[in-house]
Amino acid sequence: MYYQLINFGDEEFYAYPNKSLYWKRLNTLIVSDLHIGKSISYAKNKQFLPPYDTKEILSELFVSLDKIKPSNLIIVGDLFHDFFSTLSLKDQDHKSLSQYMDYTDFIWIKGNHDKNIEIEGFKNCTNYEINKFLFTHIPIDTPLFQICGHYHPKVKIVHRGKTIFKTSFIHNEKIFILPSFGILTGGLDINSKEISDVLGKKNLSIYPVGQDKVYKL
Amino acid sequence: MNINKSNPLLLHPLNKWIKKKRWSWFPHQIETFYHVRTGSDVVVFAPTGAGKTLTGFINPIDDLIKLKKFKGLHTLYISPLKSLANDIVRNLEKPIKELDLNISFQVRTGDTTPYKKHKQKQKPPNILITTPESLALLNSYENAKEFFYNLKYIIIDEIHTFLDNKRADLLSLNIERLQTFSPNLQRIGLSATLKNKQDAKKWLCRKKPKIVSYENSVLPKIKILESKERIPWSGHMATYSINEIYKEIMKSKLTIIFVNTRAQAEYMFKNLWLINKKKLKIAVHHGSLEKNLRLKVENNLSKGLVDCVVATSSLELGLDYGDVEKIIQVGAPKGINRLLQRVGRSNHNLNTPSKAILVPTNRFEFIEAKAAIEEIKKNNLDKIDLKEGSFDVVAQHIFATACAGQFDINALYKEITKAYPYKKLKLNDFKQLINLIQDGGYVLKNYDQFKRIFQLRENKNIYKLVNRRETRKYRMNVGTIIENPMLKIKLGTKTLGNIEEVFIQNLSQGDSFIFAGQVLEFQSMKNNLVQVKRSKSLISKIPSYSGGRMPLSTNLANSVRALLSKSNMWVSYPEQITEWLKRQKKISKIPKKNQYLVEQFPRKKNFYTVIYTFAGWHANQTLGFLLLRGVKEFNYKPLGFVANDYAIVLWSLKEVKEIKTILNLGLLDKHLDNYLEETSIVKRLFRDNAIISCLIERRLPGMEKTGKQVLFSSDLIYTVLKKNEPDHILLKSSYEDAKKNMIDYDRLREILKKMHKKIVLKKLKSISPLAVPIILEINRENLSKKETDEYILEDLENEILKEANVLSIN
Repeated sequence: MYYQLINFGDEEFYAYPNKSLYWKRLNTLIVSDLHIGKSISYAKNKQFLPPYDTKEILSELFVSLDKIKPSNLIIVGDLFHDFFSTLSLKDQDHKSLSQYMDYTDFIWIKGNHDKNIEIEGFKNCTNYEINKFLFTHIPIDTPLFQICGHYHPKVKIVHRGKTIFKTSFIHNEKIFILPSFGILTGGLDINSKEISDVLGKKNLSIYPVGQDKVYKL
Repeated sequence: MNINKSNPLLLHPLNKWIKKKRWSWFPHQIETFYHVRTGSDVVVFAPTGAGKTLTGFINPIDDLIKLKKFKGLHTLYISPLKSLANDIVRNLEKPIKELDLNISFQVRTGDTTPYKKHKQKQKPPNILITTPESLALLNSYENAKEFFYNLKYIIIDEIHTFLDNKRADLLSLNIERLQTFSPNLQRIGLSATLKNKQDAKKWLCRKKPKIVSYENSVLPKIKILESKERIPWSGHMATYSINEIYKEIMKSKLTIIFVNTRAQAEYMFKNLWLINKKKLKIAVHHGSLEKNLRLKVENNLSKGLVDCVVATSSLELGLDYGDVEKIIQVGAPKGINRLLQRVGRSNHNLNTPSKAILVPTNRFEFIEAKAAIEEIKKNNLDKIDLKEGSFDVVAQHIFATACAGQFDINALYKEITKAYPYKKLKLNDFKQLINLIQDGGYVLKNYDQFKRIFQLRENKNIYKLVNRRETRKYRMNVGTIIENPMLKIKLGTKTLGNIEEVFIQNLSQGDSFIFAGQVLEFQSMKNNLVQVKRSKSLISKIPSYSGGRMPLSTNLANSVRALLSKSNMWVSYPEQITEWLKRQKKISKIPKKNQYLVEQFPRKKNFYTVIYTFAGWHANQTLGFLLLRGVKEFNYKPLGFVANDYAIVLWSLKEVKEIKTILNLGLLDKHLDNYLEETSIVKRLFRDNAIISCLIERRLPGMEKTGKQVLFSSDLIYTVLKKNEPDHILLKSSYEDAKKNMIDYDRLREILKKMHKKIVLKKLKSISPLAVPIILEINRENLSKKETDEYILEDLENEILKEANVLSIN
């Protein structure tokens, strides 16, 4: 798999086009905002999106796990969209997940969407600290380097008269925000107030995600 | 028949009024009156100015007077435009008020206040004037049956504008519903003159169908602008002739200049303004302008307060602007019917000819203009192709039906298949559409507990809405017109109109652009409002509107081919055109009427193949892509292609040898799916389908979801669906839509079938005169969106890397 090398907090990370991030030194894979079962949660309001998002997200995740075989998988929040969405996990999915858990440690950090959800066999926490790095869904006030999710950043690119929007990895000196690993999740412009309030406007490193490659701007 | 003696209209309540006005009844009015009275459904074909509106009301008014104090709704009048509906009310008001007739009438459109709508439902007027969308809404109310049960007539105005689109599908379904409510209902259609009158009759009429037709014997006077300037090789802006156009405006009291796109309208207006030494009052009118601005222009036009209005098709229909003396059509006429409709906007007196001047903006358009004039002389109109109804409209109609109350699916299916566009709707497809409304209609049954409509346990054929709250969602989503995401433009606190979001995204603060005839500077965008200020900048952009391209009618295209081959006509052309064609004849060939000319020549290291199909842009665009694939298969290394209404040019690294072998039907069968996939045509149509079928919600003003996000998520839905459930009914529906509307499938098939044997191949040493215009159009690469995105990213990254003087790591 092609990857983009990203230096953050004196460590090397690999950003993959499937929107996962790999910390090689610690053999740790990081994903964020899967929003599993978002379709079911929409169906509750009679918006009938194709009910295949859970299947797609999990199979993409399993591909990464098979290839990389990480010792740890950190999910930086919003694994599930809401309580209803856990219904979309079939018995087979539970079985596959627990098989992967045999050799990979799953660290599920709670996000705003799934903070009240408990699933048997799934450990969870509000944040996770390792080597000067804090993994948390929404950044907090801390001297540590933070790796987070929540915002689903996308970047607007105007080039030669054309405008496109691309999902992006983005970071400043202290805070790294992952794109959403989900399918029907949409995105938020990195120039929006919400993201600027967290990252500021200067010294941003932006990595738009293309079809088979992560770019660097 | 001696009309004067046996004219039954002499006893009509309106006869007094007609006499007072010193008018007389038209023969088609007498005929219509007779047929409708004897129980026929009728379509009336008549030109503007021949009392069409009144024709529709003759029977209803007669009936209402005879019935005396009829209570409730008697006649429904459907107009294609809200503004037209208001005009109808004004026209109806005159005789009814002057004669003091005891008939009540009201208008009901999206602009009617909720209070008035509520009143109308409690106490319906005798005559209600409305639009197809408002009718659909009325039918979705629980008491629709009581409201319509006594309806006697439905009049469809300008029926020719309804025949070939999704609005027609929606209307046809709702007419059948009314017929169910009120089995004695009679239908009256009013239409401009059409070639295939029988098709319009089939579409509308059920009971003893009749056609009534009135042809105007006075032909319009149309000529081509005689220009001393050079007609450009290509382009669409007519800058060359601006001074001559200005002179024509000065010669007439009131002129409408019709152009084909909104961008052309803005551009033409700006250019006229720059040379407006005589301070003529010139205005601009197009669909994106704020309603109040449009109304002001229309008002000034009818009062004769302006000298000239530059307009798009927005002024094609509607009110009589009595004093319009001359029409100037800038750009290709594209079709005979369209041109006649536009020309008919001048001089509404039936006995004197309308006057029009055509201004071709390039050389091919000159031939097209000439051909159009010939066809109008022969009264050879375009055919309107009736299409099979779209699935998404049925889905919306099912939802509407559920909102009105529980329903039996067999009865509904029977009713729908009575509507002409759905005669061939398969029961299986219909059931899938029921499922689509029920829970999305997916094979994977994840949504059993969230259904929108459900089957009754005691009778599986009866469906019912789960929750009354859903009716609100239907009402927000009604209609078949899906606009591109638009943003409001504000100058100070004044709203100027709507502009495409895509255009604004490409602007930076301080950029200037032309809108509503003014040069504006982009300041900021907040909450979907674009704030601008006036600018004195001379360099400004013109917003592009991705709205539909006007297709070149097959009829006119054939006529262009025929005319081109008549070299004896050339002497009457301007010298530059004659020279152009003569040189073509000498260097290459002028194709005969039934021949397809293919030219091949080397140019700047590449090899060019030009095919003159005269098939219109949609078909040519499709053929170009298929050809690209075909040529690739034969390993001639194609690089790209460009298409316009008349021809396709393809360029390749190697000489394309077996062009005759490549150009056959197999090309279509083999590569079409690929084409639809890669150019994201189906994906774009899927968005419309998903919205019309109420799978996803329409963006409405005030909703925080921006248009971009709706587009984005429908793209995602499309991708997920395509991968997991390629047979889903909405994918099928989008694919059918693409075949019907975007790629001109049938036309292309027809051409490929014929073309094979009729190709005349010319191998040339260099470019031919006929090929120059299309070669000049080569300026954009035909990459798919996906490829373009990657290209932009890569290019940008490389630029940045170059700037930073480092090499790419990858």
